[in-house]
Amino acid sequence: MSEFVFATAQYESGDWDSAPLVPANIIDTIARYTEIAVAPTGVVVRLDEERMLRYPLLYMTGHLPVRWSDAERRNVRRFVDRGGMLFIDDHNHDIDGTFHKTATEEITRTVGPLAELPNDHPLYSAFFKFDGPPTTSHELNGWGDNLVHKHLLAVQRNGRIAVLYSNKDYSSEWNYHPDNKRFQSVDNTRFAVNIVVYALTA
Amino acid sequence: MRSRRSLFESTCRIGAFAVLGWLLGASVIPSHAVRVERATNDDLAARLSAWTRETRSTLFHVDVGVAAPDARESAWLAALRRSGRRVSWSGAPLALAVAAEPLVNPEGGVRIDLAAPRGTAIALRDSVSAIDSLRVADLGGTVATPLAVGVVRAIAAGETASVVVPAPTVVKAVVVVGAASWEGKFVASALEEDGWPVDARFTVAPRIDVTSGGGAPALDTGRVAAVIAIDSTIDAYGPALERFVRMGGGLVLAGPAGMSRTVASLAPGMLGERTHPTVLPTDTIRLGSTGFYPVARLRDDGVVLERRPAGIAAAARRVGAGRVLEIGFDDSWRWRMAGAPGSEAAHRAWWSRVVAAVAYAPASIVRSSAASSAPLADLARALGPARTLAEAGPAGTGDPRIAITIIMILLLAEWASRRLRGRR
Repeated sequence: MSEFVFATAQYESGDWDSAPLVPANIIDTIARYTEIAVAPTGVVVRLDEERMLRYPLLYMTGHLPVRWSDAERRNVRRFVDRGGMLFIDDHNHDIDGTFHKTATEEITRTVGPLAELPNDHPLYSAFFKFDGPPTTSHELNGWGDNLVHKHLLAVQRNGRIAVLYSNKDYSSEWNYHPDNKRFQSVDNTRFAVNIVVYALTA
Repeated sequence: MRSRRSLFESTCRIGAFAVLGWLLGASVIPSHAVRVERATNDDLAARLSAWTRETRSTLFHVDVGVAAPDARESAWLAALRRSGRRVSWSGAPLALAVAAEPLVNPEGGVRIDLAAPRGTAIALRDSVSAIDSLRVADLGGTVATPLAVGVVRAIAAGETASVVVPAPTVVKAVVVVGAASWEGKFVASALEEDGWPVDARFTVAPRIDVTSGGGAPALDTGRVAAVIAIDSTIDAYGPALERFVRMGGGLVLAGPAGMSRTVASLAPGMLGERTHPTVLPTDTIRLGSTGFYPVARLRDDGVVLERRPAGIAAAARRVGAGRVLEIGFDDSWRWRMAGAPGSEAAHRAWWSRVVAAVAYAPASIVRSSAASSAPLADLARALGPARTLAEAGPAGTGDPRIAITIIMILLLAEWASRRLRGRR
């Protein structure tokens, strides 16, 4: 049985590797709380290569404007049509910023418009129970747009999330070495388990 | 006093003359006790009611030509025979049979099976229009149609076999069981997309399962049509799984699930070591191109469904009233995600066929007195095999060849006795 491999999407236009510690941290979290067979290291896949289709859950982030090439758009469209799930997080936490504006524009153009995900969606109870998207320390500290975003956004296909978009800057929240979890009273990466479990079971 | 030999010779002579006399008498003196009534297919319907009023001593003979009488007429003839009348038939109708059963498929449909001599051209119709036509190969022919209305008729060489279209099957739930994985997820997705009701149970952590649909229903054929086991988590069902299969439920053992101890008595065979072919990043992914678990040791009653160079990729077996299908592929999701254009539809259709092959469907038998699904068989069952009128013959005359044979034997015996007289 093939393992779950955490894959980070590399795209041409921006700083796709702005949160290099996130993959290891999420892999650690998955291994810590679940029995899911997870590969100990993640992979980076280019969106303009068909190889990206081999990883049904892709994580994408950045600070800079997102402009997908034709090949990237084509692959993302195929990826979503075939049942893959793309998780995109705005590393700026700024709805006025260039990443948010350009990324949402690309998503809408490629796979369809984003809509608010209700806070009682099964994603929030896929493993741990949440009342909605967990707030991040950057939100509470007024970073970026100084807003606490109450909802995640999503494009759904056949009742399943195909693209999950976050303004909450989980990339900053999770971008630390897994060993530092011991300094936290509550593990702030638990929502990542919900995202992975949802992707694997929905 | 006459010797015994002399007595014997006299007896033979008298016996031969007696049989000859009886034979002559039977051929000359009309037997007013027996009448013969004949009909063909064309006038049989008109003659039947009159035949019913005939005396029991009448012999009824029907020359059916190339087509058996319809179900009503055959039943009438059978009733005449059961009432004590002699009924016979002759002719050469085509041996044709048709059966219909509902497809176990969310979209419904009917499967029509045909049997006829090789090379027979058959046209299929239902009560509304033509369905299809085919030429029978060695073992018959099968047609699957999404819709059939009323009565399906198979028409060939003047013969017609009919069967009432069965009611569509109510498709019950398919249960998918496994550890949380891409394979389980995409199997469940594919089946749901194709219209199957899916109840999934995926194990995520000890005592933590993620369920969807109806969750993890009890396994009984009233609610569940089939179970798909993705891996050894199927062990959790224990003996209930075997009971379910023996009652008629379907079981698909995908990938390593065949190694589970719970299914050891059910699986068509034992799995061997998984193959790991080399797959380059530029390769197009197809079903099984990333390897599979071959069925290394097939049971005696296992049937090979797919054989590849690396081994048996799929095998099946009947267990009680149910069916078990063992497929060695554990990475079919790669075919869907990274295969050639159209692979997601192909993956969906493939899994739908796999489930349909084993899913429990209660038998739906609809009989109609107006429809005969095997006219020649029905005719033979009702009236016996075909016989000529001479073979059927008026009762009491017997076969004249037997009488002639008796005469010959008696005369031969008398001659032999005379010839051997005096020899020592």
